[in-house]
Amino acid sequence: MSNLEVSIGNITFKNPIWVASGTFGYGTEAPDLIDVNKLGAIVTKSITREPREGNPPPRIVETPSGMINSIGLANIGVKKYIKEMLPIYEDLSTKIIMNIAGTDIDEYIEILELMENQSSSITGYEINISCPNVNKGGMEFGIDCDMTAKLTEELRSRTDRLIIMKLSPNVSDIVSIGKASQDSGADAVSAINTVVGMSINANTGKSNIFTTYGGLSGPAIKPIGLAAVNKLYKDLSIPIIGMGGIVSSTDVAEYILAGSTSVQVGTANFRNPGTGEDLIDMIDTYVADSNWKSLVEMIGKVEIHN
Amino acid sequence: MLIERAHIISNTEVAHNIWEMFLDAPGIISEYKGSGQFINILVEDSWNHPLRRPMSIASAKDGKVSIIYKIFGDVTRILSKKKSGNDIEVLGPLGNTFTNWNNNYYPILVGGGVGLPPILNLKSECELSKIDHTIIIGAQNSNEHFIAHDPKNDIILTTDDGSSGESGTVMNPIDRIIKEKNRPYIFACGPEPMLVAIRDYSLKNNIPTQLSVESYMGCGVGLCQGCVISKNNTDKKENSYHEQYSLVCIDGPVYESKDIQFE
Ligand SMILES: Cc1cc2nc3c(=O)[nH]c(=O)nc-3n(C[C@H](O)[C@H](O)[C@H](O)COP(=O)(O)O)c2cc1C
Repeated sequence: MSNLEVSIGNITFKNPIWVASGTFGYGTEAPDLIDVNKLGAIVTKSITREPREGNPPPRIVETPSGMINSIGLANIGVKKYIKEMLPIYEDLSTKIIMNIAGTDIDEYIEILELMENQSSSITGYEINISCPNVNKGGMEFGIDCDMTAKLTEELRSRTDRLIIMKLSPNVSDIVSIGKASQDSGADAVSAINTVVGMSINANTGKSNIFTTYGGLSGPAIKPIGLAAVNKLYKDLSIPIIGMGGIVSSTDVAEYILAGSTSVQVGTANFRNPGTGEDLIDMIDTYVADSNWKSLVEMIGKVEIHN
Repeated sequence: MLIERAHIISNTEVAHNIWEMFLDAPGIISEYKGSGQFINILVEDSWNHPLRRPMSIASAKDGKVSIIYKIFGDVTRILSKKKSGNDIEVLGPLGNTFTNWNNNYYPILVGGGVGLPPILNLKSECELSKIDHTIIIGAQNSNEHFIAHDPKNDIILTTDDGSSGESGTVMNPIDRIIKEKNRPYIFACGPEPMLVAIRDYSLKNNIPTQLSVESYMGCGVGLCQGCVISKNNTDKKENSYHEQYSLVCIDGPVYESKDIQFE
């Protein structure tokens, strides 16, 4: 096995293949199909202060080379996460990144504080900022530099664990949001969350998703993800965790060349929950067969035509 | 639950636009628990269509699994083009099973359209266990039927247009047989309007009923939270998870009719 280790902040991950929030539950759902301990990290489903049922159906629909979802952050809530999940994570040898979502800054802070008051083996937090801020008329945190900066600062001052701000592609300038995160103390940014999309059934004339609009994911969004990662890589000094449409080792290689230090596998888990484990072996072979000495050496080395 | 590359034994059109495929799937069979369970099929390896397609198991014996499917769109059309000898990747067996079909009850099995496979499977299981039962199969017209109307042997067909079997919906024979038999128990799978009618009937007449419901699925294993159905839960709390909605892929697809609600 070649050296696949990567570092983010002061943490070393055994490999750069992580599974994305909302596509792998709490890490315990598919034990027959994957050895989760092989993964670089598991990013768990977005957790809110209270449990949430999520949106009415239909919540998902397939689209060309992708899918649209509007799950509505269905989750067990932070108290149950602490009580039921943390003990399970003690026994895992993969790293757990907890994804947090909120509807105002206080909710994020409260969840983080509850977590920090526990002893746990959680490695860090990924902050889902593609959530409507009820105090700002439902404007998403992640589309505004000031809100992103403020949120990052508040969380940074309360933990020494990794803070990863998860960026939305549905903004006019993703780099400025990335910079705001970096300047306010984030250890890394991850990109991209899903792309706003819509699907219509022409036979019935109806929208295929209850909430009309949803989040597009899968191979359909890979070019959007690659561009976002590369733009961020050029302007930021903190590591970037790339995602969006990763299904193969070439996809992983492309994301690393674009500037990712680690990647997350999302929608591909729905076809095969073992995708992440498979990709670790495949990227290992890819590096061994290439002229690169290590994966780290490849980061951001895409050749540009001028 | 496992992922298996299954060999296609046969793939044939059994009625208009309705196909039956037999798969050599010893792995699936080794974990198979009973009728109601489904497999999640990867119809093509390319990522043009990222999601698997859930298909009810229509039969499971001697290491072989069969499915019955209707051509709906691109993916089922591609599936119908597969030849015996081709391989196809299946994930399963998934979901729960019909229960309580035993000699304490008189099972009335009701299948409509693409909901027929698990009902045929349950019929085979009843036959194997020598449990008296009636099967009622509904369709729009005779083109969709591939089983013969045979009331003497408790096989009743209905068609909306009267082109074969009894004219009308499955509700007429259901009501008739319930009145004839002791301790009837309905087991049904089919299009939503049919399930809605059966559910209403079962609650009104207090007939125990299990419905196998269909849902659009992302993963089939509980990861994506996509395939929810409303629970029939009257004391809804402000903040809850899994009290208002149930995940069809892992909690279902079979529910007691009183436990769920259609939108
Ligand atoms: C069904 C589904 C649910 C998701 N839930 C979350 C979530 O709870 N929190 C979050 O930050 N991202 C969520 N995502 C976004 C993914 O983590 C990821 O950013 C996105 O899907 C792009 O990666 P992919 O193309 O590999 O799926 C979800 C995606 C899908 C498809």
